[in-house]
Formats: sequence, C-alpha cells, structure tokens
Amino acid sequence: HPFLSPQDTVDRLLRLHFRDGRTRGTGAAAGGPGRAGPCRAPASRNRLVLAVNADAQLLMAELLKVFVREAAARAARQAQAEDLNKVDIEQLEKVLPQLLLDF
Amino acid sequence: RAAMAAAGGEQQQMLTQRLKAAVHYTVGCLCQEVEEDKDVQFSKQSIAAISEITFRQCEIFAKDLEMFARHAKRTTVTTEDVKLLARRSKSLLKYITQKSEELASSNMEQKEKK
Repeated sequence: HPFLSPQDTVDRLLRLHFRDGRTRGTGAAAGGPGRAGPCRAPASRNRLVLAVNADAQLLMAELLKVFVREAAARAARQAQAEDLNKVDIEQLEKVLPQLLLDF
Repeated sequence: RAAMAAAGGEQQQMLTQRLKAAVHYTVGCLCQEVEEDKDVQFSKQSIAAISEITFRQCEIFAKDLEMFARHAKRTTVTTEDVKLLARRSKSLLKYITQKSEELASSNMEQKEKK
C-alpha cells in the first residue's frame, strides 16, 4: 500500500481536524505565493496546539485500533446473535449508538 | 487569490482522500483479524461504514485532544491527553494507561543505550 506510516497517518488525521491548525493552514495557502504546501504561522503569534508528541501519536494509533476492533467485534457478535455469518450495515447500525457512547 | 485558495482547498481534499484510503486499508486488515477470530464475514459495505465512522470519530478525538492540551496550557498534545480521551470506560483507560507506560519505559531503555 502506497501510504504513510501509521504514526504519520495518525498525526495527519489529527492535524486535519485541529481547528486552529486548519485556519492557519488555509491562511498561509491564500497569502503565500511560491510556498509549497501548507505553511505554519509563527508559534509566538498565538499559542495554540501545534504538535502531537511521538508517544501520543503511538498511543492514539493504539486507541484507534481498539475503536475499530470494538466496532468490528460488536457487529460480529450482533450478526451471530441473529444467526448470520455475514456482517452487514444493519448489524453495524444496531451496535453503533452504544459504541459511540463508550468512546 | 481565489484561485490560490481553491488550489489550497483541492490539496486539502486530496490529503483527505488519501487519509480516508489509509484508514480504509487499516480497517480492512483489522476486520480480517476479527473475521478469523470470530468466524464471520464482513460485507464490503460494512467495512466501508466502519472506516467512515472511524474517520469521523477522529474529528471528535482531535478536537478533544486540542482542547485538553489547551486546558493544560500546553501547545503539544501528550499521552496525558490521550488518556483523558479514554476516561469513560474503565477497562479502556486501564489498557491505554498500560500501553502508555510501556511506551515510556521503552523510551527510557533507548535513552540508556545512547
């Protein structure tokens, strides 16, 4: 698979949603000709969340794995309770509310 | 200027697509493990749905992490913030705390080697 390392993926996934990071990114892209990629404004201007520590990235990767396994295992259990051996959207829909409440 | 902003938006969208694909791939692998473990099969749609749910959950996680770090007057997200994410479930918190300690101790070992 031509993708990023798990750690890199987690880092980018999180940065994608950091509210302050995103506003900074688009601002730089609109005003900075010749600069490649999203640029970061100086840290001193507003002290906001700038980075995710390496251990935190690994731990987040672990937490996301737990989340996916929980979703899959609960849906599988639901399917088995209905005497099915194929998990479909329906089974997932049934376990989703509790899953989201647990995380 | 609008064109530049549009280009930025396009780039953002491409990154999002790439990340979604990465999440989808990993979810597929994890579902396969569950398939073997529980002797069930996942439909393609159900795997896609789990990926989409996970991707959206990331948004909630990211915003929480950002707020937790800022609440502690930090600019870097640390393992403490991740532990707070897992606070609602006792067993999950225990698991995450244990993983965090493992990471910390393996870091210590690496430092000692240097």
